[in-house]
Amino acid sequence: MLERDVVVVGAGPAGLAASIEAAKAGADVLLVDLNMKPGGQLFKQIHKFFGSSAHRSGTRGFEIGKMLLAEAEEAGVEIWLQSTVIGAFPGNLIAIEKGTDGGNKEVITMRAKKLIIATGASENVVRFKGWTTPGVMGAGAAQTMINVNHVKPGKKIVMVGSGNVGLIVSYQLMQAGCDVVALVEAAPKIGGYAVHAAKIRRAGVPIYTQHTVVEAVPGEDGTVCKVVIAKVDDHFQPIPGTEQEIEADTVTIGAGLKPATDMVKLEKCQLTFNGPFGGFIPLHNDRMETSRAGVYVAGDATGVEEANTALEEGRIAGISAVESLGLIGESEAEKKRIEIWGRLEALRMGPFGERRQIEKNNILAEYEEKIGTAVEME
Amino acid sequence: MSLINTGYLEPEELRELQKLPSEERYQKGPVAVIECVQEIPCNPCEAACRFGAIRIGDPITNLPQCSHEKCTGCGVCVSKCPGLAIFVVNKAYSETTATVSFPYEYMPVPEQDMAVTAVNRKGEPVCEAKVVKVLNPAAFDHTPVVTVEIPKEYADDVRSIRRLQEAD
Amino acid sequence: MGEFFSDDMIVCRCEEVTVAEIKEAIRQGARDVVGVKRRVRAGMGLCQGRTCEKMVQQILAQELGVKPWETGTSSARPPIRPIAFGDLAKGSVE
Repeated sequence: MLERDVVVVGAGPAGLAASIEAAKAGADVLLVDLNMKPGGQLFKQIHKFFGSSAHRSGTRGFEIGKMLLAEAEEAGVEIWLQSTVIGAFPGNLIAIEKGTDGGNKEVITMRAKKLIIATGASENVVRFKGWTTPGVMGAGAAQTMINVNHVKPGKKIVMVGSGNVGLIVSYQLMQAGCDVVALVEAAPKIGGYAVHAAKIRRAGVPIYTQHTVVEAVPGEDGTVCKVVIAKVDDHFQPIPGTEQEIEADTVTIGAGLKPATDMVKLEKCQLTFNGPFGGFIPLHNDRMETSRAGVYVAGDATGVEEANTALEEGRIAGISAVESLGLIGESEAEKKRIEIWGRLEALRMGPFGERRQIEKNNILAEYEEKIGTAVEME
Repeated sequence: MSLINTGYLEPEELRELQKLPSEERYQKGPVAVIECVQEIPCNPCEAACRFGAIRIGDPITNLPQCSHEKCTGCGVCVSKCPGLAIFVVNKAYSETTATVSFPYEYMPVPEQDMAVTAVNRKGEPVCEAKVVKVLNPAAFDHTPVVTVEIPKEYADDVRSIRRLQEAD
Repeated sequence: MGEFFSDDMIVCRCEEVTVAEIKEAIRQGARDVVGVKRRVRAGMGLCQGRTCEKMVQQILAQELGVKPWETGTSSARPPIRPIAFGDLAKGSVE
């Protein structure tokens, strides 16, 4: 049977970083991703990243993606694209639907001595009248259209949500030549970084806080031709009589992300609910190991954050996996982990980060309390 | 802070939150104005400044502090700030005019001598302006820095220009 | 509020399940995401609830007066992604 030391699921920043660390330590690493290209969301990120110089801040996201791919290649990571893990079975077996160059698929069952799950997150939607009308889409989907496929989703866009995704994608839609005619946010405050908000305000985008979309109205061709927004009360409920109509052909929804947990559920990893991190997430310890021995997690799948934290968590997962394979010593692994946790702490500071640091600590404590030591799958 | 409710800073708030250049310094020529008022983990501006004028230190969530005496107004930091939150203002450009330099990442990029409409932090038109310089070297990594000449009284308000329309 | 949120609004677009059908499932005894899924197929389609699960949780929480996390999350069993029967049948254990 086909066997690899480490199989990493998801080739975003977390999965790439995990693969690089594991391969550099001498492990046979297979990285599996369902997309046509590796890199996860990095190749959609045309803006310069924040962070410290240690995180290559000031470099555009897709450039960071290119560097990681080159590093992975150099370290000898094997990558299967258009390939999906569809099943997991006792004895560290996983079934992968492997894409082939000819476009055909074949299902392969193999043994992964260690498994690292870095499956990312999926977009939340919000429900309003007409939310299934063509022209309504996730902000991330719109970002894929403009930055990967070079297609404009529409001419006049209403963005829902003022988190960093809503703000950054609004800016990039304008860079692609669209007009963002309104940004609506149900909360009384802008959710994302003020500098991102300032950027789109300067470009003339009106920001409606305490507002929500109540209807996307289809035109004769069945696609969005008009958007109705309304003020919301303190419980985020729309207030009748405050509706206003906005001429627009597209609604993009940046209402947060939800960790993708199908893989961790399949592996029967114990979950916990965490609101700030986006919903149900796998419990894990400071080695990024789940309740299941030999199954590690990293990145948005462990709680929605950003690319730099995903990278660092991926490194920890990779290091811990090769440590448990005996490829690196315990003291070396621990030294590296301490360094990385230090960098993660710096990323989880300030008004946007400290809450995530508290939640992360809670998750690690909950793991100690409920699990203590990871167990083999039955 | 109005910024987190509206997306723009009132000049008075800016003065409270960031140490802005003094009028005396402004009269000496171009100087960086850093409009970064939230403690986010970010520090490329510190490394960008060859004159050691910008300091963030540890932790990286510190707000940048700019020594306006060391700052020469060269504008390299303008292109390096991922938040596009640094501007260079020259209130000594001429008897009656000032210049404002800002990052501009839209297509088409304005050209020198072009007549444009200057806008404030809310995107509202403030005055007519003339493009006096466009810097876009490879080192700026696709963040051109545009300098416009405007009547002096608008130097604290103007922060960008109305986006130019793509030719069909 | 009624004028903004009608019960004929679709929640699970893969299986075309409306708010009214989910409320009916709750009346019949569904107490969590899995209960709704078994009764009216919300979350059982192509995307396996990736889009609608949060909305189903919200409706459950609202109707039952509980917190969203008390409504649970759906389980996963192989194959977790759509796969052609032919490919599955051809599969090998190498």
